[in-house]
Amino acid sequence: MKKGIISVLASVISILVGLLFGLLLLILVNSSQAFPKFGELLTAGVSNLPKLAKVLYQAAPLIMTGLAVAFAFKTGLFNIGASGQYTVGAFCALLCAIVFQLPWWVCLLASFVAGAIWGFFPGLFKALFNVNEVITSIMFNWIGMMAVNLLCMNLKNADGKLVMLPIAWVSSPIKDRTAALSYANPNAIIPKAGLDKLFNSNYMNISIFIAIAIAILLWVVLNRTTFGYELKACGYNKNASIYAGINAKRNIVLSMMISGAMAGLGGGLYYLSGTAEYTIQKVLLPMGFNGISVALLATSNPIGSIFSALFISYIQVGGESLQPVYAKEMIDIIIAVIIYLSAFALLTKTIISKYIRTDKSNVNEESKAAPVPAAVTGNAEDGAGLLPDTAKKTTEESEGVEK
Amino acid sequence: MIVLADVISATIVFAVPLLLVAMGGMFSERSGIINIALEGIMIIGALMGCLMMRWLDAAVVAGQLGAQLAMLIATLFAGVCGIVFSVLLAFASINLKADQTIGGTALNMLAPALAIVLTWVVQGQGQTTILIPTWSRITQETFGITVANPFLQNLLFKNSYLTTFITVLLFIAGVILLYKTKFGLRLMACGEHPQAAASVGINVFKMRWAGVMISGFLGGIGGLAFTLAAGSGFQSSVAGYGFLALAVMIFGNWKPWSILGASLFFALFKVIGAYASSIPFMPQFKGLEGVSTYLYPMLPYIITMILLILTSKKSRAPKAEGIPYDKGMR
Amino acid sequence: MSEYVIEMLNITKEFPGIKANDNITLQLKRGEVHALLGENGAGKSTLMSVLFGLYQAEQGTIKKDGQVVQINNPNDANALHIGMVHQHFKLVEIFSVLDNIILGAEPNKMGFLQKAEARKKVVALSEKYGLQVDPDAKIEDISVGMQQRVEILKMLYRDNDILIFDEPTAVLTPQEIDELMEIMRNFTKEGKSILFITHKLNEIMAVADRCTVLRKGKCIGTVEIKNTTKEELSRMMVGRTVQLEVEKGAQNLGDVVLDVKGVTVPSKLHSNNAVKDVSFQVRAGEIVCLAGIEGNGQTQFVYALTGLDKMSAGSISLCGHDITKAKIRDRSKLGMSHIPEDRHKHGLVLDFSLEENLVLQRYWQPEFQKSGFIRSQEVRKYAEKLIQQYDIRSGQGPITAARAMSGGNQQKAIIAREIDKNPELLVAVQPTRGLDVGAIENVHKQLVAQRDAGKAVLLVSLELEEVMSVPDRILVMYEGEIVGEFDPKHVTVEELGLYMAGAKNMYREVGVGTQVPEKEGNEA
Repeated sequence: MKKGIISVLASVISILVGLLFGLLLLILVNSSQAFPKFGELLTAGVSNLPKLAKVLYQAAPLIMTGLAVAFAFKTGLFNIGASGQYTVGAFCALLCAIVFQLPWWVCLLASFVAGAIWGFFPGLFKALFNVNEVITSIMFNWIGMMAVNLLCMNLKNADGKLVMLPIAWVSSPIKDRTAALSYANPNAIIPKAGLDKLFNSNYMNISIFIAIAIAILLWVVLNRTTFGYELKACGYNKNASIYAGINAKRNIVLSMMISGAMAGLGGGLYYLSGTAEYTIQKVLLPMGFNGISVALLATSNPIGSIFSALFISYIQVGGESLQPVYAKEMIDIIIAVIIYLSAFALLTKTIISKYIRTDKSNVNEESKAAPVPAAVTGNAEDGAGLLPDTAKKTTEESEGVEK
Repeated sequence: MIVLADVISATIVFAVPLLLVAMGGMFSERSGIINIALEGIMIIGALMGCLMMRWLDAAVVAGQLGAQLAMLIATLFAGVCGIVFSVLLAFASINLKADQTIGGTALNMLAPALAIVLTWVVQGQGQTTILIPTWSRITQETFGITVANPFLQNLLFKNSYLTTFITVLLFIAGVILLYKTKFGLRLMACGEHPQAAASVGINVFKMRWAGVMISGFLGGIGGLAFTLAAGSGFQSSVAGYGFLALAVMIFGNWKPWSILGASLFFALFKVIGAYASSIPFMPQFKGLEGVSTYLYPMLPYIITMILLILTSKKSRAPKAEGIPYDKGMR
Repeated sequence: MSEYVIEMLNITKEFPGIKANDNITLQLKRGEVHALLGENGAGKSTLMSVLFGLYQAEQGTIKKDGQVVQINNPNDANALHIGMVHQHFKLVEIFSVLDNIILGAEPNKMGFLQKAEARKKVVALSEKYGLQVDPDAKIEDISVGMQQRVEILKMLYRDNDILIFDEPTAVLTPQEIDELMEIMRNFTKEGKSILFITHKLNEIMAVADRCTVLRKGKCIGTVEIKNTTKEELSRMMVGRTVQLEVEKGAQNLGDVVLDVKGVTVPSKLHSNNAVKDVSFQVRAGEIVCLAGIEGNGQTQFVYALTGLDKMSAGSISLCGHDITKAKIRDRSKLGMSHIPEDRHKHGLVLDFSLEENLVLQRYWQPEFQKSGFIRSQEVRKYAEKLIQQYDIRSGQGPITAARAMSGGNQQKAIIAREIDKNPELLVAVQPTRGLDVGAIENVHKQLVAQRDAGKAVLLVSLELEEVMSVPDRILVMYEGEIVGEFDPKHVTVEELGLYMAGAKNMYREVGVGTQVPEKEGNEA
């Protein structure tokens, strides 16, 4: 339990330092407006119900891409391809909605499957050829984005009109985004269940609840099932899992597929809201990369991803209030700093637990966790394998810092 | 024939950033640090190089400063800023022993955001593109000569930048540094077996810092070279070239000469993608929109994938024992 | 001048929670071979690492020629002409021999390497001391014995005259060991001083002048070898008389459990086969030991046997079932248990808790899962049972992270897991590696208990003492082949050594090109 608290504390410290850095940057750029704008940044998300609705609305896909990255992390893979999977998922959801006129839940399912397929390839290449999944999924980000753009610009209906674009449905000169669902297929819009009225915002729908439910489901799979046990064993130590008769290659592919499915579903949730249209992009969609931040802040815990996604969505909504005095990318800087800090979470955690130790000199988890029975006493010497690894790490670290 | 000259000169100009950045990645990884932050380093280098050109613009236009001298200053500035940015990676991954991939990812997120914010600050609200002055190119006037032959003219002066020549020098220097000096031997030892290096008194920390900083320098210049090659000004992005360079490095087996070959190869496909509409024998897919913007530009990425798969089997051979020491990826 | 070249006085070195060296004093005379004796974990390597500058002691002083010196890093040690051959060689595999020797002390002009100069010196040194090496060969292509020569040349190249050898004989054949002893004697004749870390009594009696004994981080004493006996040294080392004999019940042979026929495994490193046409049987109620020097195909054979790797020819059957192509899980179901050579690579998922590791081979059985969900309570109960039964000690019981456990207890956990599966065949690869004497005895008892219960045991071991005492039958493996089969009661260590080194083969003439050593045996 205490371990959990330390993880949360480490994340909170990273967040605080990141925000402080953001404030400094605001002061540097334009000192007169820095404090009021920083205040707005911190409070905008709860300033009124529609703003809160927007936080929740953006958090839903963010939770999904966060889960995608977190799930892959748990199984020893770095899915930096969430962006591509998200884009492809979004496209397939819109394809089902606009071209095939299917109801919203089928479209969501389509985005799930499409994301899984886009995750399948990097997984397969990793499993069969041991090609680094980071490189592959980056390549698939670009391939996915370009393929989606190409399809959006070329798919035609029976009348020869570009079916994905507004022009097939209403007279509109817009050529750089897809048709809005409100006229193309209202059935494909995710139900609002009265929440839009409650929050007085058109953004609000049930997607946040879908995302939370899936996060919980994923936690159960990882922590309570044999499948999750196998995936984690594989992620922590591939050789040992093979030794235990687990099909590691199959698990790598499955992990990447599930991970991709999560990101794909995120794309579906966002673009089936009825309030967003897919814009023909020249750059990769940031939602997938923000998923990395979500996962890192949550230390790859699915439940934690809910909260970290809410946080990131919250400051992003706050970031909009920075404009036009500051670029809203200020928020990205803050998030990047937070992630940079969480990269040495281990160090932060060590410092925190040291602080706790000196604070209360009685027994704590760390000292209990490092048993020193007679059998171990001498094991310090021959180094490799004999010294408990945790103890070894700390010696290394203290040496490193001294130097 | 003219097309051939165009293709060759464009290939070279696109190979330059790949070569530089992949060499940078090689120095970092051979010292034992996975440098996934190359993309971010490139962005910072490009940003600062372009800003420097902007600042020197007035002086050059007024004739107080030679155009190529200004380019040299901008190039060095890009490299130095790359070093400064790479220090963030070095500090996190060497001193704090942070996860190298995550630290690098954070820097990749930081760089474009920082670039946009800085561009705003320098150019004013909403001005997100830094334009490249025309004097950055080496032309016939630079040497005060006239080349009549259109083939040679296109080959030599269509895409000619100082960075290309600097790259040739840096590449040769890099090869010598790695294979012929005490420093290179020690650097490689740190990437292969840091305990062995430490046991003979080599400071692994120092060598790794050096490796990462060299990658910062080369990455920064590579970023500027990319922006020059792309031609449409700096827009806080290098279009995934940093990652492409990583792939080039892997495909080039962490060896300079192979990396040179790999970068020329990839650049060729990039150029075929970009010039597809003007190359006679490339199919044009009549009736499809966005072929030149989306279909052909996919080529380098797809080719990269295929080559990585094909070479992955070979890299299991003992030859690839040069894979850098790291528990992380790959 | 002081009588001693090196004095380490009252050295204390602590690691978090462990006093690795507790007030140890060691004095090295000029021109002597000084052995440092102790069990695994007694503090020998730590003490030498302090002398070599890899660690700094909290207390105590080091004197060179009577002068107090500070050794903060290997450079300082080198400046004092102290060199060390590490137990695990510190060689860069892709570098050439020459590059490895000069690394850290490169002759250079303005930073540019001057290899020609270095090559001359290396060739001269290797001729002078009879340490033949090819300066241009890559480390990964040369034998372990050759690699050790490179390590020795590294010291000589740096003009070191205080030479530390850390467990240098562990990877050598008996004949190579003899050569090494000869080289050490030559060094002392030249006035070089040698610190020789070992836990092998025969070697100390053969080569050392004096011996300092460590036990659990404390210095037990320093003795003159000519005034002592093996038995006394052994008592000093372990603090009680060692029981070299392993008690076994009367043998009760049953049916053939494991039948291996013509197994051949291709090598990953070279074009030859790592395992060549290996055939043997193991029957219920016996322990068969696969003996040999490290790297003679044992690992590859076990990988093929347990399904971790593919074989290119041959067949294996277990209890009458052909398992040549069976999956790992199916082999396990048919009654094979495997205590792996590398407990961190294969044996444990270090980031899992102890209880999760204890069900690693069984989590899928109905006892521990119901329609895909893990029955945590059953897992907990089972883990507690094993912890009790096999005396696995850990900080927090079942929920301790495997990473936080000591090596000995990690091994106990693996052994408990594998034996409690109640296998028909137990494959135990170096099950006592890195354990202390008490733990080793315990493991041997467990193996014998399996045998006495009518199970088959295949033990793969490098330790001659274990090879001679535990099994009922010994098979010697050399360069991927079985070269001899022995009854441990009717064979001597020297005889085994000749087979292990490839000088003898029971089944065919030893061909031309196989090295036949000039000297035999190891007379102390």
